[in-house]
Amino acid sequence: MGRKLCIVWLGILAAGFMLPLVITFTNAFMTETEIFLNYNTSLSVFDVIDGVERRFVPVRLVPREITLGQFRAVLVDQPAFLMLLVNSIRITAPVVVFNLAVSLLTAYGFTSWKWKHKEILFFVYIVVMLMPLQAVLVPNFIIAERLGISQSYWAIIFPGIFAPFGTFLLRQSMGAIPEANFEAARMDGAGEIFIFIFVVMPQMKSGIAALSMLTFIEYWNVVEQAVIFIRDYRLEPLSVFLSRIGEGNIALIFAASVVYMIFPLLWLFLGQEDLQKGIELSGVR
Amino acid sequence: MNKKFVGTHKGFLFVLPGFLGFCVFYLWPFVISIGFSFLSRPVGGEFVGLYNYISLLQNPAYLLGLRNTITFIGLSVPVNMVFSLWIAILLGKISGRLKPLFVLVFLLPLVIPSGSMVFFWQQFFGANGILNGFLYSAGFYPNWLNSENARFVLLTIFLWKNLGFNMVLFMSGLSNIPADYYEAAAMDGASRRAVFMKITMPCLMPTTVIVVLMSVINSFRVFREVYLLMGSHPHESVYMLQHFMNNNFFALNYPRLTTATTLLAFAMMLLALGLLKLQKRVS
Repeated sequence: MGRKLCIVWLGILAAGFMLPLVITFTNAFMTETEIFLNYNTSLSVFDVIDGVERRFVPVRLVPREITLGQFRAVLVDQPAFLMLLVNSIRITAPVVVFNLAVSLLTAYGFTSWKWKHKEILFFVYIVVMLMPLQAVLVPNFIIAERLGISQSYWAIIFPGIFAPFGTFLLRQSMGAIPEANFEAARMDGAGEIFIFIFVVMPQMKSGIAALSMLTFIEYWNVVEQAVIFIRDYRLEPLSVFLSRIGEGNIALIFAASVVYMIFPLLWLFLGQEDLQKGIELSGVR
Repeated sequence: MNKKFVGTHKGFLFVLPGFLGFCVFYLWPFVISIGFSFLSRPVGGEFVGLYNYISLLQNPAYLLGLRNTITFIGLSVPVNMVFSLWIAILLGKISGRLKPLFVLVFLLPLVIPSGSMVFFWQQFFGANGILNGFLYSAGFYPNWLNSENARFVLLTIFLWKNLGFNMVLFMSGLSNIPADYYEAAAMDGASRRAVFMKITMPCLMPTTVIVVLMSVINSFRVFREVYLLMGSHPHESVYMLQHFMNNNFFALNYPRLTTATTLLAFAMMLLALGLLKLQKRVS
């Protein structure tokens, strides 16, 4: 297949991939009236007179009038929305930061630990890592009840902090550091803590970036845990809330969605390589 | 303690804090959960042997969810693999500035929170939605969200979201195949088909096993979209194992929940062990 043909195929596929995002973005700049006209498909009196049997949602990519009205409504007029955004941050931020810290320590421990049978223990981490979320939720729930932290963010945050995936990913990425670096530092009489901070950390930049990005995406999009642990709708993260906003005020939904997705999108634009690296490292070897 | 022991186990001090948390929030509750699955009630219940397992495997809702989940995995994993491999191969043939741009586009859905796309999917697949707008003019008016067709909706959303992940894995697998293999084949005048079957496929086997494993894990995540899009009681063709578990959460039916969890964890463990073993053999 020629290069040109490849580009044509990729172009078609890419257009299909972009369509949902392009519609969401462009529609966020439309006026409330235009949104309502586009997405209300019930028939008017005139339709009936004209003999129109059904009306469908049209694909409108260019707003008739570009306005920031939706964004103002979402960000300024509706404090509730900002509150929900803050809820998402309150869940995501601690998980990203502390999971990174714990995973760095554990991964380094597994690298420098000289016990013969450490791989057996590491294998337990891998098995738990491979469990789908649904298999972990019930144990999460049981322990949250015992510790008295269900119905609070801690029930989501703690399992997130100790999730085995980070340890696995960072150990993979630490494996790329040449053994000679450790040897040299030990010869100079450096202690483990010194080696961890001054030899390992500087070489872990891309591993750290990859892990924090993957954890961020995962917890920014938290749905199942929130449904189970958070019954108070004021404490819900945005992900759960957005699925219900459509029933009420559809004029805001696009701007709300854009605000919500802009954070991970910006991170992707800044760190596309980090994400690719993270995915490659998740492949068990 | 002698010096040698300390030297060997110094690394454990770094593992310890994370390991304690891992025990408290994962291992220990797993053990409790397995224990509960043999009791009639979690508190003060008596040992009932395999009763919970037998009654779960006779529960029609559980069986429906199990069947749908297996069907969805069986359908989505191969389709996803074929498409992502195809895209990875296409990307391998182009270079220059366009390539990272295309990669970016296919990675975008991966980072988009499910919640922000729910309204779009509703409007796209709705009875009077965008898709039906096109199909209606061709004489069709299918029901997407509330019929057997819902499976197709799930597949579309799943592919949109997960193609990028497998694509990256395949791209890195493809780039690891030594270029001289292809040069040698070109010298022998091998056909494109032969090159693909004799070089590309065998060299990609280790990657493929990993892709299968990751796709199975990721395919459980489609529940997020089903749940946000169709609620806790969707059309029966897309009622998943997770719906069953989620709905039992609200009734807090511990015997059912823990039994279902134990079975799922056990099945996943067997699958993971099998695939990892297979991967060691092919690589």
